[in-house]
Amino acid sequence: MKNLLKKMRLTAAIIITKLAVIVLRLLNRGGTTFPGKIALKICPNILSELSDKFRVIMVTGTNGKTTTCRICAGMLDKSGIKYIANKSGANLASGITTTLIDALSLTGKAMVRTALLETDEAAFKTVAPKLKPEIIIVTNFFKDQLDRFGELYSTLNYVRDGILSSPESTLILNADDSLCASLGQGVDNPVFYFGFADGVYPETNFSSNNDAPYCMNCSARYEYSSVTFAHLGHFKCPRCNYERPEAKIECTQVLHYDNLTSTVEIKVPDGKFAVKLALPGLYNIYNALAATGLGYLLELSEKDIIHVLEGFETGFGRMETVNVMDREIKMILVKNPTGFNQVLRYMMTQNNRCVVTLALNDKLADGTDISWIWDVDFEILSFMQNKIRFFYVSGDRAEDMAVRLKYAGIDEELIRIEHNENQLIDKILAEAGENETIYILPTYSAMLDIRQVLKNRFNLKDFWK
Amino acid sequence: MYKLTICHLYPDLMNLYGDRGNIITLSKRCEWRNIDVETVTVSLNEEFDYEKYDIIFIGGGQDFEQTIIQDDLMRGKRQRIIDAAEEGKVILGICGGFQLLGKYYKTQSGSEIECVGALDLWTCSSEARLTGNLVFECDFLKSQTTDGYVVGFENHSGKTYLGEGVKPLGKVIKGFGNNGDDGFEGAVYKNTYGTYAHGSLLPKNPALADHLITLALLNKYPEFQGLDPLDDKLENLARTSVIKRVLADKS
Repeated sequence: MKNLLKKMRLTAAIIITKLAVIVLRLLNRGGTTFPGKIALKICPNILSELSDKFRVIMVTGTNGKTTTCRICAGMLDKSGIKYIANKSGANLASGITTTLIDALSLTGKAMVRTALLETDEAAFKTVAPKLKPEIIIVTNFFKDQLDRFGELYSTLNYVRDGILSSPESTLILNADDSLCASLGQGVDNPVFYFGFADGVYPETNFSSNNDAPYCMNCSARYEYSSVTFAHLGHFKCPRCNYERPEAKIECTQVLHYDNLTSTVEIKVPDGKFAVKLALPGLYNIYNALAATGLGYLLELSEKDIIHVLEGFETGFGRMETVNVMDREIKMILVKNPTGFNQVLRYMMTQNNRCVVTLALNDKLADGTDISWIWDVDFEILSFMQNKIRFFYVSGDRAEDMAVRLKYAGIDEELIRIEHNENQLIDKILAEAGENETIYILPTYSAMLDIRQVLKNRFNLKDFWK
Repeated sequence: MYKLTICHLYPDLMNLYGDRGNIITLSKRCEWRNIDVETVTVSLNEEFDYEKYDIIFIGGGQDFEQTIIQDDLMRGKRQRIIDAAEEGKVILGICGGFQLLGKYYKTQSGSEIECVGALDLWTCSSEARLTGNLVFECDFLKSQTTDGYVVGFENHSGKTYLGEGVKPLGKVIKGFGNNGDDGFEGAVYKNTYGTYAHGSLLPKNPALADHLITLALLNKYPEFQGLDPLDDKLENLARTSVIKRVLADKS
């Protein structure tokens, strides 16, 4: 009787959720999270109920989840595996539920057996034990949205708790991140580490290691033989000897690196290959390594892995490029100091004159505390001031961003505040010369606002999915 | 030419979210007035010779980092911080740094972690996290040009209570403040200031930044007459626009 009731609940949840999805789509409302919320109301245990129906691959971590997921999707495609994946904005329990139910028939059969799920770090703790993922990929940990997560170590512990309840899952972890790598210590799970080989990318600026300079086990200061960026590198604790673990997937050489591509040599357990990534930015090499780990686990050939990595072209992480009125607009999502610093470093490779727009919101999705902009090294922009025609600031907290730029040494005359997105677009298009680049660096919700205006104004169809 | 030396205590450990914005602001506002300024960092196992410094800053840290500095702080630097405060050095502590300047921190389990004790205040850990924009009113900042409102962002689970030896820094207009109960925010004792306001605090509260710079200059140069005004158009715009939004928010 109890079982029957349970089954009825599940069936009801599935049917109602599928209906909600259909209705919302008819209304053109997208509907990626709301239907899942209903399902969780009707059948709170629905994720556990669904776990047997899917082979789940989860991707979590602070930065690079979306890009890593997309390269992983390429790996699955190449393996001929049919899969479903959630949209990047739907990475909480509700969005994941919607995604899974969407792949079921009305009778509850899975029409697609594999699910590739980008998962929010806090949600991971509760979702992972229920879904029993076959593979868990963790990209990295940086300070991000502390207003929501409390502390960096709480974020790490959410993910750790999720992993401890998933002893069967194979882990793909960042070896160069002392926090992320610690997830593979003392667990029985099979672990695949990825990272940069020692000294491949010699970083000189050690001072930017603000997130984790001290050993998480014994509090001594780590020693580094090389650093890639922030706290990522070959760390070793002089006191307790906790050190960067050996990586099975490793970037052993950076052969070429510019503002559009990077060519790297990647070592896998049974070989080495050079690959040209159509992805600029150092941290995208990490994302490529993580996805290579998945390709390796899927037993893809070297040739196939290269094919996927070279064919992946969404640009700089979450960068989208559109050409409007002979001007190139590059929109790059920014959400925390480490990611932002990487974007600024990428902008330094810019040769032509450009217009820079910074759009800062403080809604829940952006993080309600905007203090983090003071941890971003805007000071480096003052070195390229002569290339930047104007700095436009926009969003709910435009004025805070204007002050940040002023204190970074940017000439106040170059700073313009514009809250209205339509006028903003008019102005930046007018200020940029023909064939010049316009950088738009928005936080998450500001990106949605600006994208909507660009879409409506220039009839751009889903240039972003 | 005037010269100030700013000491940033534990910058590699107590730097939770943007607290270095305060150092940047103090430095820039001196620079723009041709006041020579030098920033010195002092961290673990480094000598803290407070007499060399005119402004001492300590930011917020995560629990993990606060446990790392605990020994170093209590062993060597504690008495010097107390002496610095007693002698009227300008000290600014934010969030975790503010709590550390107090007498003790009581954890959930009831044990008391001893703190520096430069300020007559103490903090008790609580279940809830007090997070959000914070606006408070400081009488000492009121002038013909400013209303004395200070705005920042608070994010703490400790509730701080003030003893008789300190005065509150301000009255809470919006937000929780020290403990969410008594309506006060921060603390002042002589020239030592503590507050929960990140934001960063000083960039968009230029009156408070200048107040601290002025105190430091008066300490060092008794004949000092007062700061030249700066063009704070952007700073004030940032301050007033966020205060307006925060006060309009009914939640």
